[in-house]
Amino acid sequence: MDDKRRGLQQGDAPIVAPERLWRSLSERAGEDAVREARGHEFVPGAALPMDSAGEGDAVSRRRFMALLSATAAFGAAGCSTPQDRGKMVPYTKQPPEVTPGIANYYASAFQEGTTVYPVLVKAREGRPIHLTGNDAHPHSQGKTTLRAQAEVLSLYDPDRLEDWREGGKPIKKDAAIAKLVAALSDGPARGSRALLMTGAVLSPTRRALIEELKGKAPHLVHVAFEPVADHAARAAASAAFGDGPALAPQLDRARVVLAVEADFMSTLPDSARLIRQFADRRRVRSKEDGMNRLYCIEGRMSLTGSNADHRLQLRPSRAAAFLFALAWELHEKHRLPLPYGVDSSVLSSFKLAAMVESEKLPAPVVEALAADLAGHRGQAVVLAGPVLPAAAHTAAALLNVMLEAEGRTLDACALVPLATPEELRALRADLEQGRYSVAIFWESDPVYALPDGADWKRALVQVPLCVAIGPLATETSQACSMVLAANHWLESWNDFESPGGVLTLQQPLIEPLYPDALMQGEEILLACLKALGAQRPGEYYEYLRERWQREVYPADSPAPFSAFWEAAVHDGFVQRPVAPVVRTFNGAAVAAAARDAGLGDPAHPTSSSSAHSGFELVLHPDARTWDGRYANNGWLQELPEPVSKEAWGNALALAPVDAERLEVADGDLVEISAGEAKLTVPTLVQPGQAPGVLSLALGLGKSLGSIAAGVGVNAFPLVAAESRSPYLRTGVSLTRTGGKKKIIRTQEHWALEGRDADIIGRPQTLVQYAHGDHEPHAHHDHPTLYPEHKPGAEKWGMAIDLSSCVGCSGCMIACQSENNIPTVGPEAVDRSREMHWIRIDRYYSGDPAAPEVVHQPMLCQHCDHAPCENVCPVAATTHSPDGLNQMIYNRCVGTRYCSNNCPYKVRRFNFFDYHLERVREPQEMVYNPEVTVRPRGVMEKCTFCVQRIADARMRAKAEERPVRDGEITPACAAACPAKAIVFGNLLDPESEVSRLSASDRGFKVLDFVGARPAITYLAHLSNPASPEDDHAS
Amino acid sequence: MHPLDRLLRVILPLGGLAVLGMVVLVGWTTQPNRYVEGYAPEQPIPFSHKVHAGDNQIPCLYCHGGADKSRIAGVPSLELCMNCHQVTRTSTDNILNLTELYQSGQPIFWERVHNLPDHVFFDHRPHVKAGIACQVCHGEVEKMEVLRQSMSLRMGNCLDCHRNMHDYIRKAEYRKDVKPDLVGAENCFACHR
Repeated sequence: MDDKRRGLQQGDAPIVAPERLWRSLSERAGEDAVREARGHEFVPGAALPMDSAGEGDAVSRRRFMALLSATAAFGAAGCSTPQDRGKMVPYTKQPPEVTPGIANYYASAFQEGTTVYPVLVKAREGRPIHLTGNDAHPHSQGKTTLRAQAEVLSLYDPDRLEDWREGGKPIKKDAAIAKLVAALSDGPARGSRALLMTGAVLSPTRRALIEELKGKAPHLVHVAFEPVADHAARAAASAAFGDGPALAPQLDRARVVLAVEADFMSTLPDSARLIRQFADRRRVRSKEDGMNRLYCIEGRMSLTGSNADHRLQLRPSRAAAFLFALAWELHEKHRLPLPYGVDSSVLSSFKLAAMVESEKLPAPVVEALAADLAGHRGQAVVLAGPVLPAAAHTAAALLNVMLEAEGRTLDACALVPLATPEELRALRADLEQGRYSVAIFWESDPVYALPDGADWKRALVQVPLCVAIGPLATETSQACSMVLAANHWLESWNDFESPGGVLTLQQPLIEPLYPDALMQGEEILLACLKALGAQRPGEYYEYLRERWQREVYPADSPAPFSAFWEAAVHDGFVQRPVAPVVRTFNGAAVAAAARDAGLGDPAHPTSSSSAHSGFELVLHPDARTWDGRYANNGWLQELPEPVSKEAWGNALALAPVDAERLEVADGDLVEISAGEAKLTVPTLVQPGQAPGVLSLALGLGKSLGSIAAGVGVNAFPLVAAESRSPYLRTGVSLTRTGGKKKIIRTQEHWALEGRDADIIGRPQTLVQYAHGDHEPHAHHDHPTLYPEHKPGAEKWGMAIDLSSCVGCSGCMIACQSENNIPTVGPEAVDRSREMHWIRIDRYYSGDPAAPEVVHQPMLCQHCDHAPCENVCPVAATTHSPDGLNQMIYNRCVGTRYCSNNCPYKVRRFNFFDYHLERVREPQEMVYNPEVTVRPRGVMEKCTFCVQRIADARMRAKAEERPVRDGEITPACAAACPAKAIVFGNLLDPESEVSRLSASDRGFKVLDFVGARPAITYLAHLSNPASPEDDHAS
Repeated sequence: MHPLDRLLRVILPLGGLAVLGMVVLVGWTTQPNRYVEGYAPEQPIPFSHKVHAGDNQIPCLYCHGGADKSRIAGVPSLELCMNCHQVTRTSTDNILNLTELYQSGQPIFWERVHNLPDHVFFDHRPHVKAGIACQVCHGEVEKMEVLRQSMSLRMGNCLDCHRNMHDYIRKAEYRKDVKPDLVGAENCFACHR
């Protein structure tokens, strides 16, 4: 399967043709254990108690007696009086907008790093239970990332701080504020400074507040610190454009996307918006439709790379040289003008041909890339990931200028000030020397998230008063004498600047969980401000509203401010006029960047001749826990990473050839040395990883939190302090320590038995599809012994476009939130007990060095002739007249026959009472009251969100009309940023799902089984460059 | 007495009687409706449905306003009680209690009478919409001084009506305008999910 590497072939020969699917390297090698496991429903030991070692399932006589008596005791304890039915507690004053049983939706937003996520919060009786994107907001259009969706669980985190403490003892609010104010006001007298460290400040009101506080306490130093930031891109942009705005890619306007180490589908911020825009240009509904084309150049195997039409492997340190060479090729061969001031003699030393040869890149693909970019000026964009050095960002900026991307595929957005690594290092030195009398860490955790965190911890000892503000205890708050519990963002007011002149509002959805103890961080600052003599309202809401009235409310508005404000809160944003941005490319920056990277100079350490003297290590934020801020969220920890399928941890990914050379296998512990930093991590052999490139996720290995503590390793010590490309380390060495650590991976769980085409259909290229010269999908119409169902008015079905699905796994979190799916913990996931109703199967094919990847969402197929139904001895799973495969928990006795007989392996068994064992107060507040919380011993599976079907049906009934197409959206379909999942009535020929199900790309998974699933998959389409392409655009 | 004779005359009948007695005893104690029908707990405030719904003819939906809008009929908020009781019968002990609770913002903990298991998702809306009177399931509430459960609310009750709706409704004295073509759902997911 080396076709892509060999180059482009003429029309008839398939470029994408899966030879054999494999889910793991051991499965590909045909290892006996894997083959054996495929025959079993559960991994060996799945049904054993958690504390057993996994082999001996013999129960001793003593243990049997113990279990028997415990059972009897539990049985007796369960016999409560049937008279006790609990209490009913009505509202004292019922809010007019609340009808018990009806959900309310509110627009809000929250901030992750330098990105704003507009969300729509579903609340039941005043309790937020589910998050989606705000469908009215121009940046969200109803979609948001999986991390944003999981935030509703973090709101009810049992580890949240409940009070204010000083030295471990509770302290009154007034006393704490008085101490803080005293420290703030007597600092200047002693010639010392005060530090306020926050995350990036995207809120203009918060910024105004901090400025006001600085006015009252002039020695206050504000530092905006983000653990994961685009330092290199900022450095490059300030050199190339001077002080200007940042750029946000708009992929819906791009026909050609070149992503260089830029994982915009998973670990870059705002991935949901980018996937939505990308997928909008890729949706093929007829043979005439076009597709965009994605080229990925990367060392690490990222989710974006797994979805690329062409993926080239390149060490990240060589990316700058490659991009400069590409720019020169575009200029020299394709006659694209260079921006004013770029010295062509600097660029001319970069030869693409030499690059292709030295990096062993496939020449036809590189040529096609150049031709594609040149042919799509104004419709192409080059994305450079944060891991790349500044020179690569300069090169990408040069390319974008040459491609006329700015204003077309790149939109200007406000550049948020952030502290650079050098400034942080200098700050630590000042702290160490006792120049600060007070340090306030407001939702900011330098001790965990800086490479020199241990030194920070020591430095904080020199500060007389350290204050931590935030909802959770952190490594930094442990080093602070005063810890002030603060609101979660779902309990807070705020506003945020989003790109394009949009001002987004955040509104609280619930009173603070511990109303006497908590307040919003801004209100602590406001209290200080008032104590320092300013006349300001005590509530941040009033402060925010006053500032809006002063500065946001248009003076010529015909509506009174109250109406304007209410409309803004309702919509969640206001659109303001935006001034056009003028940026001039400084051509001299190119020469400097080229010199910086030492390109063309063979003696330079980053040039190809000497670069191979060690590994390159890519440090990237985790797709789930990001920079560690979500590490205490069980949903996110249990979510398998989209490519490696690793849950509950982070392992060091390395290429199969490197693993072979170093003789390491999955789970072998190795010591990484990068400069002076050393870290022991387990390894994970990642197909598709470029040789010589290692990658490791940041954001795990926390020492605090009932969920987060001890999961994975903290990779922040490996980040290069004081470097402008801190997340790329070169000259890294690896040594085996000899130990082993179990890696929790779900990739070999839930295997489907069938030939490849029966599972993922027949992937094809766009050209092949347009020509219709592809073998059609086999359809089996076996005779059946099942009775035919009597057709009613509705038969629910689903269509899933594998071509749109990128495998981001957002649907899994949406489903978990909607359907009260428990987490089971790492040991249980290892035994294949994970409870996700929808999973993403990731299939590789071809050469492990450069595999093809297809992502396939797998959920209950709601078969017409469901094999699960007729093996249930108690009829707990039956068929409904509207085509649903029903699972009735109260009837289930837990034989697990149904799961054994399910060819799709989508049924999940509650081996334990996870909802009792793993849920602590107040976490049960996150439950959706429309879905049963399942007890131990019952089977469960996807219901097509029957509660949403029922709700839509009831609304339709009330209005005396049939259910409209598109009215019902299951949680997975609502969350899918690529809109790959379409749900509807298959008996309505006009419904979208009917039209899609009739597509010539459509196939049923494991059709030969004869189960007649209600889900039609649309086979994967890719769009590799082909000689038939029209480059004239 | 011949041993066989004793067996036939004494032990066998006695044994049979014991078995029968056991069956009757177990059957009676475990009969589904034993604890359910007629359950009428004492409430924190002795609210009389007879006074409100019977004597004063207040419509059910005035207080249980969710029944035609939501799955849940709802228990009225204290504010709703106070709509009338700010001016009506303000001086009795119970109303004074109510007023105090309301003014102090304290909730009231009513004893639940009608209860369904957690895995049942009954929806009031279609039933109200179909014109089925509240009394069909809840009994003649307007004649009850103390609210009492009159139907055991087991799955058999639901299916009886869903399978043979017209007979059931016709029997009810409170029949409203029931549409002739209405059929209740008979599949599991209609109520269990």
